[in-house]
Amino acid sequence: MAQPPVNAGIVAPGAPEPTPQRTMPSTVAQPAPPPTPTTVLDDLVDQFHDAAGAILASVDGFSIAQSSSMSDEASHPAMLAAAVGLAHQIVSMSGGEELRQLVVEHDRGLLLAWPIGSQRVLAVLAQHSIDQRRLHSFVHARTQVLIGAGS
Amino acid sequence: MSGQTFKILVTGPYAAGKTSMIQSVSQTQVVSTDVITSGEESEVKSHTTVAMDFGTYQVAGDDTRMLLFGTPGQARFRFMTNIMKGDVDIVAFVVDAEATATHAVAGVELRALLRDLRVPAVIAVNRCDDADAARQLARSLGALDGEAVVPCQLIDPDSGREVVVEILLTLLTAMESTKAEVA
Repeated sequence: MAQPPVNAGIVAPGAPEPTPQRTMPSTVAQPAPPPTPTTVLDDLVDQFHDAAGAILASVDGFSIAQSSSMSDEASHPAMLAAAVGLAHQIVSMSGGEELRQLVVEHDRGLLLAWPIGSQRVLAVLAQHSIDQRRLHSFVHARTQVLIGAGS
Repeated sequence: MSGQTFKILVTGPYAAGKTSMIQSVSQTQVVSTDVITSGEESEVKSHTTVAMDFGTYQVAGDDTRMLLFGTPGQARFRFMTNIMKGDVDIVAFVVDAEATATHAVAGVELRALLRDLRVPAVIAVNRCDDADAARQLARSLGALDGEAVVPCQLIDPDSGREVVVEILLTLLTAMESTKAEVA
């Protein structure tokens, strides 16, 4: 364990009393603002260099949040909602019960989309090289914020 | 007409009754993409179509089949109409007689769609029992004199089937006129 310096806080005998210093009242540290869906999506793009953007939409096609790297196109959340809505049906066709992820692979990368709770969908635009396991962990840890719990 | 398969585009404004119509007449399980609504739209209804509805109808004693493709009604999903409108044989345009706020835009969309597709149309005037009132509303939307208009209550399967019968009659008329032109 680290020891404090020997003379720390001790005044040598005969030495003048230290003059009390006028100190400014220290600034009270402000608590960090609570995360919002927008800050989560910006953090995601910051932390994953292979991610170009992220968008959170309601299941009926309205924009809820997007990373700063995404343009604000009204058709994007609508397309996302339509694709995920149809993907739910394709899951039934395939004998599944629950849609976990929708992957659209194209020549320049991936679009990964998945339901967030029952009323939201998240999409991440990424390069093929993105670490999907880490991405899922990142999103999973922030699901409550993305769901909008407490907002 | 026997043995043919027809593609019907069921379209119209938000909350007009398109999904109800397909659900009420389809003889196979409807492929539905209904989700919970949010915001102001949730004040109108609790669920909405986000991609498509799909149902089928086969004429009794015949192998003529109708494939019903239902679109979402909101403008933000217009791309789905553009995807589904290819090779359509007829448009079933559903409008809610009581939702007067939707009528002006519905008229513009109806005319634009029919100019684009050049196929016959049936105007299904939902929540309306009066043929004259239905016809008047359809004309105000820009429906032409020759276009079929059906007053209906699309929560009632019988009423939905009346629309389907009108669709079949309109298709038959269109085929006969095409034959006459060729001859």
